[in-house]
Amino acid sequence: MKNPILAAIVLAACAGCASPERSRALNDPAIPPLATVQQVCSNCHGMDGNAPSSNFPRLAAQPPAYLVAQLKAFRSHGRSDPAGFEYMWGLSRHLTDAQIDGIAAYFAAQAILPNPSKADPALIARGREIFDKGVASRELPACASCHGDRGQGKDGFPRLAGQHAEYVMKQLNVFYATEQRPEGAVMKVIAHKLESADMPAVAAYVQSQAGS
Amino acid sequence: MGETKWDSAAASLQAVRCVALLLAAVILSWSLQAHAIPVFNRQTGQNCVACHAGGQFPDLTPYGRIFKLTGYTIGEHALPLAAMAVASVNKTQKTSSPDPEFDERAGFPKDGNLIFSTASVFLAGRITNNLGAFVQVTYNNYDAQSPSNSHWTGHTSSDNLDLRYADRYISPGSDFIFGATMNNNPTVQDPWNSVPAWGYNVVPGSSGPGATPLIAGGLAQNVAGWGGYVFWNRTIYAEVTGYRTANGVWSFMSQGFNTERDDMQIVKGTNPYWRLALAHEWGPHSAMIGTYGMDAHVFPDPTDPAGSTNHFRDAALDAQYQYLLDPHAITVTATYIHEKVDYADSVAGQPHPLDPDGTLGLPLTNSSDTLRMFRAKASYVYQARYGGSLSYFDVSGTSNPALQTSAFDPANPGELLEGSQGVTGNLSGNPGTRAWTGGVFWTPVQYARVGLEYTAFTRFNGASTNYDGFGRNAHDNNTVFLYVWGAF
Repeated sequence: MKNPILAAIVLAACAGCASPERSRALNDPAIPPLATVQQVCSNCHGMDGNAPSSNFPRLAAQPPAYLVAQLKAFRSHGRSDPAGFEYMWGLSRHLTDAQIDGIAAYFAAQAILPNPSKADPALIARGREIFDKGVASRELPACASCHGDRGQGKDGFPRLAGQHAEYVMKQLNVFYATEQRPEGAVMKVIAHKLESADMPAVAAYVQSQAGS
Repeated sequence: MGETKWDSAAASLQAVRCVALLLAAVILSWSLQAHAIPVFNRQTGQNCVACHAGGQFPDLTPYGRIFKLTGYTIGEHALPLAAMAVASVNKTQKTSSPDPEFDERAGFPKDGNLIFSTASVFLAGRITNNLGAFVQVTYNNYDAQSPSNSHWTGHTSSDNLDLRYADRYISPGSDFIFGATMNNNPTVQDPWNSVPAWGYNVVPGSSGPGATPLIAGGLAQNVAGWGGYVFWNRTIYAEVTGYRTANGVWSFMSQGFNTERDDMQIVKGTNPYWRLALAHEWGPHSAMIGTYGMDAHVFPDPTDPAGSTNHFRDAALDAQYQYLLDPHAITVTATYIHEKVDYADSVAGQPHPLDPDGTLGLPLTNSSDTLRMFRAKASYVYQARYGGSLSYFDVSGTSNPALQTSAFDPANPGELLEGSQGVTGNLSGNPGTRAWTGGVFWTPVQYARVGLEYTAFTRFNGASTNYDGFGRNAHDNNTVFLYVWGAF
């Protein structure tokens, strides 16, 4: 009874060594990006990149260049906001460039799902106005000018359409109050012009954007 | 509160000294943080908050549950060692008793003193792609007290152990985790915090109920279990595990426990444990309702494991709710355990403990009992730094003369029988104990927590007043508990 159990555990363990396609190792260049997506990334961001919890950003349909830049910024500790260093520094620390490219390509290829906002329609309408037109009196440019007319993002500018409002708010505050995301320095100026009262409006609107 | 040492100036001075020492311990632990981190942090490189709700051990986040159920294998090989230590002060409201036999120093030996209570070493982490371990060994600095000079001796023993093999098949729309666990404490393998092993009184030295069902720690570190589990679509969790005595080649799971020390139970054969849970996650919320239980045969005399056994049938319901949206973390857990125990021939129908000859005509002990335990806890943590919790337990059950450690003399009403015990005595023979615990804590750095808890008993040993026959009331057992808990 005893020895067969031990033997079974040892055998099972060894069998496991030979399954890189289901590995949860994060420091092995041989692990295919899809395995890391499935076994690790999906735990918070969802298998299709539509993170169910607003504690974590949605990655579906993000421009691959943006995802690559973020993962590399986590890996180099260039991005040090709490969401970054608490969750992502460790996971990204030994990913190779090829693995990062693969993970980014996977999530970029996923379809974004609708993320309806429960916010006051008037707030969403205000957010839409700022997103589309900016606020001339404050020299605040339209969000659409960089993030795309449907919030779909482009190259290094992230998709905002469908993103969780809570996550957008957190990041706007990071830009506003800290130097923790130097790669997004342009957003510091924007966040200050946006002013804190308008942040929830924009965040609610972009979450509700269907995008494409 | 009456005349207690708590009120005295000397005790106040001592309390001030204790707080100063505790703060010194925090500062010391701070200085140790720079180069030392717990093992799973090293393995994943993540902060405590990734796996623990609000960064507070042991409440697991949904990701923490997956980390556990996939065999502690996410990440990379790292130094698999970590340590944990607790320093605490426990102050009981009333430590004296009119019982002339009651020795206050022996009855409350550590009361009001700052003690370095326990320290643990963990050997844990990823072993292969599918195999991982969580092994805890604990040193108890206050294991036994010499009757001659009152000096304490320490003792090192096995603590929780969970060795896992796990695999996971996942694709869009389908997620199937399955695995095997080898562990030494029923419910220690569970990923939710509503179960006994991880839900309540997790700070070593904190106050809890006296009599508890067997599944709530009664077999911890005495048994060796092997089981299998599945977690399907993060929705349905099912597990079956069989437990046998952790002796022979499996005695490494019960090291430091033995029948001579009277802390080792011997179970007959393999005893089944089962678990079924239904989980759901939506937005920043997650919830679970479940059931678990165990059917166990335990020999009444561990030094003579033969003959008929005490047969325990424990069945429990439990539930958990979590809201995790940084910087807020809320965890609410509850469980209800129902236990039916049929006693062995050598235990049932025996003379009353205070009437061994049967001359007083006191009733014989029961042939079976029912014990029920309800526990609930709610905690809130802000910024993974400041938190508070409120918990409640209610143990109730049938009265049994076997528990009656205090009794009135039938021939002389109002006179307690010889052998009746002050403070620990139980006049009713009922196990009923009920208390509320409120606590606050502060986590200045993610590896150290300072906390203060107050436990208020409204029922103790079956009564709220005069439960021991010597006039002691349940609230006399109220405790203040101050602790510093560090992990390195």
